[in-house]
Amino acid sequence: MKRNKLIALVLVGVMTLSALTGCSKGTGKETSEPGSTGKTEESGAEAEKTVDLEMWYINEGFLEVKKGGALYNFYKDLTGVGIVSPYVEWNGGTTYQEQLNLKIVSGEMPDIFLPVNGMEVDLVKNGALLDLTDLLPEKAPHLWESIPKEAWDVIRSYDPSGKGRIYMIPNVVDYPVSGGIIRQDWLDKLGLPMPKTQEEFVNVLRAFKTQDPNGNGQADEIPTGGRQEARWMDHLFSMYGIAMWEGNPQWDIYDGELTYSAVTKNMKDALQFMSELYKEGLMDQETLLNDKAGWEGKIASNQVGVYYHWAQTTNQKAESIYNATGAKPNLVVMPPISAPGYEGFYTEQKSKGIQWVVKNTDDQEKIDACMKVLDAYGNKDLWQKFFLGVEGMHSEMVDGKLRRLPDDKKTMENLLLQPGTDISTVESVTQLLENIRTDDTSWSVDMSVANLAKMPEYGKLIAGNGIPSSVYEGHPDIMNRTLYVEYASRIITGEYSIDKFDEFVEKWNASGGEEVTKAAREWYAKTQQ
Amino acid sequence: MTKGKVAAVASAPPPKKKTSLISNMKKYWPYYVMVLPGVIFFLGFKYIPMLGSMIAFQDYSVFKGFVGSDWVGLKNFKALITYPDFIRIFTNTLVLGLCKTVLIFPIPVILSLMLNEVKNLKVKKIIQTAVYVPYFLSWVIVGGLVFDIFGVGGLFNNIRNFFGLDTLLAMQKESWFRPIYIISSIWKEAGWGTVVYLAAISGIDPSLYESSAIDGASRFARMKHITFPLIIPAVLTLFLLSIGSFLELGFEQVYNLLTPMTYSVGDIFDTYVYRVGIQQARYSFTTAVGLFQSTIGLILVLTFNKLAKKYSDDGGLW
Repeated sequence: MKRNKLIALVLVGVMTLSALTGCSKGTGKETSEPGSTGKTEESGAEAEKTVDLEMWYINEGFLEVKKGGALYNFYKDLTGVGIVSPYVEWNGGTTYQEQLNLKIVSGEMPDIFLPVNGMEVDLVKNGALLDLTDLLPEKAPHLWESIPKEAWDVIRSYDPSGKGRIYMIPNVVDYPVSGGIIRQDWLDKLGLPMPKTQEEFVNVLRAFKTQDPNGNGQADEIPTGGRQEARWMDHLFSMYGIAMWEGNPQWDIYDGELTYSAVTKNMKDALQFMSELYKEGLMDQETLLNDKAGWEGKIASNQVGVYYHWAQTTNQKAESIYNATGAKPNLVVMPPISAPGYEGFYTEQKSKGIQWVVKNTDDQEKIDACMKVLDAYGNKDLWQKFFLGVEGMHSEMVDGKLRRLPDDKKTMENLLLQPGTDISTVESVTQLLENIRTDDTSWSVDMSVANLAKMPEYGKLIAGNGIPSSVYEGHPDIMNRTLYVEYASRIITGEYSIDKFDEFVEKWNASGGEEVTKAAREWYAKTQQ
Repeated sequence: MTKGKVAAVASAPPPKKKTSLISNMKKYWPYYVMVLPGVIFFLGFKYIPMLGSMIAFQDYSVFKGFVGSDWVGLKNFKALITYPDFIRIFTNTLVLGLCKTVLIFPIPVILSLMLNEVKNLKVKKIIQTAVYVPYFLSWVIVGGLVFDIFGVGGLFNNIRNFFGLDTLLAMQKESWFRPIYIISSIWKEAGWGTVVYLAAISGIDPSLYESSAIDGASRFARMKHITFPLIIPAVLTLFLLSIGSFLELGFEQVYNLLTPMTYSVGDIFDTYVYRVGIQQARYSFTTAVGLFQSTIGLILVLTFNKLAKKYSDDGGLW
């Protein structure tokens, strides 16, 4: 009996001990994590009085920006402020958004960050973001000047209180960024001219499919295609005059009124056309299953004839095809094609969205640090430097000039501040491209520069330019375009007949589309005044 | 019987003698101390967090906190029920839940009965290991594998092409979603599910088999009349545990197999909550949906527990 009791005691002891150590391990880890950034702040402040800021931005696999690292020091030299940025998986924005929400919930919002999916509206409402209206002209004059007044006016319209305060830094661009990109070398090989009508376009696709333009003896060519959720195939939508941004339907004037492009007759005809292409095998059969890596892999493996992407990065796509297969492609932006009865264009917006927001704080030192970063970010004299990054990591000296190296995710820290592409004109981006040029890359840089130069004439500024995400408030499924993606995907793959489109429009309106449209039209009426 | 066992472990004194709780505690204090870490665990990680469910009745804002957020009553529940696709996600959840209970749940039982009949120990161990392994892969990996197998140039289409059939992209076909869901869960989880049953089988008294063998029972008869009835209590317990999460199908699996083309059969509460709740940081709404699912789970557990007790002496969780 006594022995049993003793054993019981020992067991109890062991259990409580293990439970306690288990707990303390957990808490120890927790405190050490935020501590790592917190601690650096203290030691930094003691040593040189630099303030450290935490910044969050897209990182598609590059190294994190660590305290004391090369990029940290580089930014400190340029801005006078230390910047750290942890690695957060991007995953098309989904994982980033989750992680960011988690940080916000736990009261550890980054100091400066890229907001996604309209989260900024809610943050402003809750007073979580810094009011930049008076701070910008005073403390970040370079940025204030670099971004045109019209862009700031759009940002003012985002203030949910209606007072026209500025809480966000927009991303500015003055030309259409993306277009349908065609393999000119394939056209040349098959002796075909650049397609000008829809009929010619379809014939080109047929020729790509059947005449083995990549010359490997296999019928493995994918004439055209895109990615899941009907994304990145805007060149097919654009033939019908549909305002579309990387697969996200936009707002434009249809039948005299601001309308969501997904519920127009244009969309119905476009989907019908695409379902025909799909049925004939002229679109990648896996279009609606392709993830980013899958689709870009197909492009890189010299299989895709026409795809939709940025004009200014055709050099990267060309290099990846060259590196993977040895073929030197000639990628050219296809002038927009008009379907019979429609006016085709590539969608242009003056802004690709919100670039930065700043965390609200009373800490004057932090505010000043944030403004210093924003001022340097807007300083055109520094743009080239920001683009080139750290010598020896992002760029190297070639013939006495710094040249940006091709992306290498294993060795490069993630460049957070890219004002040259965030606030871009054809000239500024061309200049950045020139920084990449070496003897080896000259051919592809020429391609990008030529494509970029042609973009302005292909675009149309849509009426819904700069529409705030607040119009979707209370209707997350509309903002997520869930219903649209479901119907569009199934119509394209032939699961649904085109007649189902009317059912979609009805359902869309019933599930909140009507209210969203009303809010959007109200916003538009206000901006027209 | 079970009742007495459970009660002794918990806190109430054995029903025979009416001793007070305090004197019972004095007498058996080491046991009470032993149970303490468990109680602390459940209080700290299960019961106290449950209070957080109150945000289902609030318009919860991260910045205002529990105390500062406005109370909105049943607004979030109303929003769920009036959601245009509520019927669809509810039906999908029910159908997949039913598949899970009717088609997937019995597989480990059958598998363990079969494994038990393998007499060559080495073969048995190899098979066991082989069926366990998939359990240790995450759904993200399994989802990727499934997409590859059913993709253009995947195993599935290679076989189809070999027999002269057209390439079929099953992942974007509505009619294929449920079979793929069932087969992939069996492939991944069934092996692991046999662990408990095999343990229950190994606890059966060998003399039962010996005597029945002497009486001339065939191998099949022994399985049917000895092994199967004796693992029924374990089956029932596991069944009741799984029925409690009837509407919680496991977000990861469905999410990783879902495409917009299969929303109509595969969009369930969990994926819906993820899309409009977690991603958009609508915590109150998400909690309301979770509470709704749990309530239905609780009702099902209580009902089936009652039924189990009615039809089997040893059945029922409590």
